[in-house]
Amino acid sequence: MRGELLSLPRGPLPAQAGIGLRAPHHLEVLGRPGAAAWFEAHTENYFADGGAHVQALMRIRADHPLSLHGVGLSLGSTDALCRTHLARVRRAVSRFQPALLSEHLSWSSIDGLFANDLLPLPYTEEALRHVSTRIAQVQDFLGMQILIENVSSYLQYRCSRLAEWEFLAGVAAESGCGILLDLNNIYVAAQNHGFDAWRYLDAIDPRDVKEIHLAGHSRAPIDGRELLIDTHGAPVCDAVWDLYRGAVSRFGARPTLIEWDTDIPALDVLLAEAAKADALRTDAEAHAQPA
Amino acid sequence: MLYEPTPKHMPSLRELQRCVMQAIQGGEPDAAAACIEAQGISPAARLAVYAGTARANFIASLVSSYPAVQRLVGEDYFAQCAHGFHRRHPSLSGDLQPAGREFAHYLVELHGDDQYRYLGEVARLEWLIQEALLAADHPAFDLSKLREVAPEDYDELRFQLHPSVRLFASSYPCVHIWQENMNDAEPEAIDLAEGPDRVLLMRSLDGQLTFHRLSRSEERFLRALYAGERFGAAVEAGAAHDAGADDGDDAFDAAAALQRFVVAGAIVDFQ
Repeated sequence: MRGELLSLPRGPLPAQAGIGLRAPHHLEVLGRPGAAAWFEAHTENYFADGGAHVQALMRIRADHPLSLHGVGLSLGSTDALCRTHLARVRRAVSRFQPALLSEHLSWSSIDGLFANDLLPLPYTEEALRHVSTRIAQVQDFLGMQILIENVSSYLQYRCSRLAEWEFLAGVAAESGCGILLDLNNIYVAAQNHGFDAWRYLDAIDPRDVKEIHLAGHSRAPIDGRELLIDTHGAPVCDAVWDLYRGAVSRFGARPTLIEWDTDIPALDVLLAEAAKADALRTDAEAHAQPA
Repeated sequence: MLYEPTPKHMPSLRELQRCVMQAIQGGEPDAAAACIEAQGISPAARLAVYAGTARANFIASLVSSYPAVQRLVGEDYFAQCAHGFHRRHPSLSGDLQPAGREFAHYLVELHGDDQYRYLGEVARLEWLIQEALLAADHPAFDLSKLREVAPEDYDELRFQLHPSVRLFASSYPCVHIWQENMNDAEPEAIDLAEGPDRVLLMRSLDGQLTFHRLSRSEERFLRALYAGERFGAAVEAGAAHDAGADDGDDAFDAAAALQRFVVAGAIVDFQ
């Protein structure tokens, strides 16, 4: 492709806080190189053949480490993997050369129809084998390990036989993928389904955790009860900051992303959340038990 | 283990996914609800959360593709149209960008015969604008390459348009309507009798969306180039109807047209 940057700086993401890159911030980010340690972009937002967004991400990538985070592969679907979508992901990897590439432990399509939302899988042996095989196929196609993120959920299937953390750990073991642990999603699911979020953290092998996500959520009254909804439209809540401190103690420092997708605030608000994550991480590292 | 095995039928993953999609996209939650734990909130209400998010994501994608149409009809009516469109044309891709492709046709079905009949044409313009903004980049025309060709040999060349070039013709002044509705200021009233549009729209080298108004002969000339015709054939197409002189155009000046669209950055190469 014309304009492709062939000699981008390579290397892992720093084990610091980065922020989710959103189009309203492109110009400001370009004018303030180094304002964030690294950025994460939604892969599908840069699927275009060319144009302003693609050019902006190329320029931002030239100055920053980058992670690409997909929402559309529908890894858990029992439809065939979409080769067109995969080819676009591969082009994005080739163009932007991300340090990490991630997707979700969910499904969003069946019989060719897409809900374009992250629908939870039943936690069964069948689903575990199925999604692990698909993740392995994607890794083979792309020639790289991908990270899989746990999702928020608002329902549980009667047929589930495994705890969510058993399912996630099993998928990592079977497919060879890494884990992108979203602590807000753990908290939302734990509150909605009544499990202990700390038990979730304890069940995950630290060697599998390659990245952490932090975000805000909202609360919706439904049927006289309250359901937590993963809106990515608010600051990280105190309980999730506590989980982050615990995660750093258990897993060590990891690249940590501040995600904000709705009611996107000023860039400085995101940078302040990232600074808070960095301060908490430094503090948690200082108080961690020596290995 | 979280759950005790139940004696009930255990659906396959595919069966379960079909039930859930039927609930989310088809508004029929019963089969899926039977597969979901209640835990104080009805399974139908739980499924409705996902249905609401799926619909909101779809509508947000449509809003980003059709901002002027949304401003013309207002947020509420746009959401109503988008909801109806979503039911008729559900997303077929993990990337929502292409989901709005048929929205102009849908608006023509809704309003093709009433006082809002221009909506479909404005939507068609907005989709072309989307295509132009997302099209591949291309470097500027290397004119030294063209100077190596003798002008008498131009007829055999196939000129290549910039990947973002789109040609738009409509019965109503859609470009004016679009421009008025993309400003923050209150849009001024536009007379639909202002006349039809014939424009080339494209992304310029600096990334800006640009419009170039066309005569009928220029439009025919460009459509021929767009179809991959040789320059000679495109010139013939441009000049084809000038004899009738009922279209208000001067005689087609092929050299001037070529120069105009090279300077505009619309013609970027040749074979």
